[in-house]
Amino acid sequence: MAMAAFRREGRRFLLSPISHKPSTVARSAILSEEFHPSGTRSISTQVVRNRMKSVRNIQKITKAMKMVAASKLRAVQVRTENSRGLWQPFTALLGDVPSVDVKKNVIVTITSDKGLCGGINSTSVKISKSLYKFTSGPEKETKYVVLGEKGKVQLVRDSKNSIEMTITELQKNPLNYTQVSVLADDILKNVEYDALRIIFNKFHSVVSFIPTVSTILSPEVVERESESGGKLGDLDSYEIEGSETKAEVLQNLAEFQFSCVLFNAALENACSELGARMSAMDSSSRNAGEMLDRLTLTYNRTRQASITTELIEIISGASALTG
Amino acid sequence: MASAAAGSSAAVPFWRAAGMTYITYSNICASLVRSCLKEPHKSEAVNRENVHFVISKWANGKPEKPTIRSDSPEE
Repeated sequence: MAMAAFRREGRRFLLSPISHKPSTVARSAILSEEFHPSGTRSISTQVVRNRMKSVRNIQKITKAMKMVAASKLRAVQVRTENSRGLWQPFTALLGDVPSVDVKKNVIVTITSDKGLCGGINSTSVKISKSLYKFTSGPEKETKYVVLGEKGKVQLVRDSKNSIEMTITELQKNPLNYTQVSVLADDILKNVEYDALRIIFNKFHSVVSFIPTVSTILSPEVVERESESGGKLGDLDSYEIEGSETKAEVLQNLAEFQFSCVLFNAALENACSELGARMSAMDSSSRNAGEMLDRLTLTYNRTRQASITTELIEIISGASALTG
Repeated sequence: MASAAAGSSAAVPFWRAAGMTYITYSNICASLVRSCLKEPHKSEAVNRENVHFVISKWANGKPEKPTIRSDSPEE
């Protein structure tokens, strides 16, 4: 009967005929539960083994995700650095003045569609919200255009009524200028604006992503600012060739500037997302490794404790017989 | 824009009068240039023209039905 009890527990026992006392069977049965009568807790080795297996799998997956992000990052980084040359002439000509005071502001927030990328989406949304507060006031109107699933989810919670448009599935194909320019066109056609503020994470290096705001003014506001002097005052010193008027040129420039800046912003954000995912997955692999170490120690302790208990039972049983 | 219209009718280029923005105009020109390429460069260039995103306008805090803009030049 004692043998049957041992087999039922499924443990590798020394099948010795001495331990026929029912109290030892009961004690070994209790050992496999959470509580030990003497007050210490011990978990069954099976439970610990299962946990170790799942943690090990998670570690492998996060390591793989880190490698994937690293390889994708290399390609996108090259394109991002090349695209920086698109907006630099615009900033040299038209300036980038975030402190401009206009009535209709549109905040374009660029976030990612996928998760597991650290805190970059939260920082972008936080900056969007503070910019919203900064630009709102009497007679002023601020609206959001959200690119990316993650930003949409966060902004819907408290700013539902200020969202003008949301765009998702932007990164299904690799980012190219045509796609972003079509998107920019859609935004320009559907949204009235005096100033567009694009919020994205600028990629400085693999570990540093700085949230940035780029401001693009509508042609009327550019005209107004250049007449009033200040940063855009030199605009009139440029000669306009061809048969276009200044207003024409400014309109074309404003549209093209928005498209270029949006393209660069989308690329930089994609780079930052990959970099953030790399570091997030790296730290999660490290945490999984530490967890695995702790679980291994627990497992060994439990295993040794159960072996010691068995030995004690056997020896005490033997001494009870002989003594 | 009022000064441009009052100046002369030729001041507004044909594409602006047709309702296109500068972005649309330059995209059409770019795709024309891309279609002038020879293979194999042509297929590489066509890959750069794929457009796909899902856009949905919001009204009164509720999203309307999203429209999928997945136009690639072949379609």
